[in-house]
Amino acid sequence: MLGAIFGFSLANGSETENQLETVTNDEQMVERALSGDPEAFGEIVRRWERRIFALAFGMLGREEDARDATQETFLAAFRNLRGFRGEAKVSSWLHRIAVNQCITRQRRAKVRGETALEDEAEKNAAVFALPMDISPARTAEKVERSIAVRRAVGSLPPDLRQVVVMKEFEELTFQQISDVLELPLSTVKSRLYTALRQLQLRLQKFGK
Amino acid sequence: MRNTNERPICHRAEDLVTYLYSEASEADTKDFAAHLQHCDACRSEFGVFQQVHESIVGWRNEALGQGFIPATVAVETKVDSTHLVQHQRKLSAVAAVREFFNVSPLWLRLATGFALLLLCMLGVLVISNSLKQRHRQEQFEAAVKEQVEQRIAQTPRPQAAPESIQGTNSATQNNSSTAVVINRPPAFASHVQPRSTRQRGLSRQEREQLAKDLQLIPRDEDELPLALSDEPNQ
Repeated sequence: MLGAIFGFSLANGSETENQLETVTNDEQMVERALSGDPEAFGEIVRRWERRIFALAFGMLGREEDARDATQETFLAAFRNLRGFRGEAKVSSWLHRIAVNQCITRQRRAKVRGETALEDEAEKNAAVFALPMDISPARTAEKVERSIAVRRAVGSLPPDLRQVVVMKEFEELTFQQISDVLELPLSTVKSRLYTALRQLQLRLQKFGK
Repeated sequence: MRNTNERPICHRAEDLVTYLYSEASEADTKDFAAHLQHCDACRSEFGVFQQVHESIVGWRNEALGQGFIPATVAVETKVDSTHLVQHQRKLSAVAAVREFFNVSPLWLRLATGFALLLLCMLGVLVISNSLKQRHRQEQFEAAVKEQVEQRIAQTPRPQAAPESIQGTNSATQNNSSTAVVINRPPAFASHVQPRSTRQRGLSRQEREQLAKDLQLIPRDEDELPLALSDEPNQ
């Protein structure tokens, strides 16, 4: 089912004709964009921006960074549109670009000594983002928990983090993650298993 | 969360995550569910992983909002979005108007309706006025034409065409009313002279004389009348 919207071919081959049609549409859009249709690439962006943003947010942990990374992803995709040979699906291609963008950003941030951990302003923002009908104690608890989860995810090595984010944020199947990252299915599963174990330890460490 | 650092790791770790995310086949699901019954390590990990999963989903929903549609929900639509986009582009104006009326409050809708009604009435008035005016003009032209035809019919035909062309006063004075249409009017005729009888232009000498006569300001300043005294005011 997911293969249709994300353009992956599922192992069990349960895609319907409509879904296959949607799969070709992404590739058609790229062809149209290559032939000079200015709106075709805009359509690709519209289709994928939310999911790429979710991926970037999960990877980077900050909305601003995620927005920048999403923008850079689509810019890089547009610049390299001619390099897209259609061997992979558009979705896999975009995800790969996004993952690379996120990793590059994190490396740069590390070099500059920045961290994606929360500061006071972010904490306040998280408090205001919660519904008003929740009691202050519950709000504080939720905020603390969110921060702890973000810290835990942020502290995972990139190869584990990207699997967790794709699974938890985008709800991709193991097969889809395997296609995007070009990894064997068993590697994806073992990485997720390791990531979940590490997350559990880190959440303990952060007191949650 | 319980410290499970030292718990034993079962060899079915991959099956555990597949089961956790409900991606196992029916047979595998049954098999692993049976395994969970007697494997403490897997049962323990399953519980812990579920908590971790819930925590991450909670963070995701807080950060991206409940409106975030993950892939599984989005796929339910199964729409050929290319066609959808084209359809939307075709109906963009209609859709925009519809959107406007959906979004705007009642008073704005009423005001827009009233404005449209006024605009329509104004349009109808302008069109009817222009039609009336055209009708009047046609009537007036028809009346004038009729009168002219009547007068032409009443007027006897001129005897000789050259006379009328030359604009002789005898012919035109007698039939002054018809001369407007048929012959040139006497006033005009009197001014129009044959090319041979037209007055020649002024000669150079005459022009100079005329210029001299018409010259109001004398060329020499000495000839100016002494309007003001050279002496300063005392």
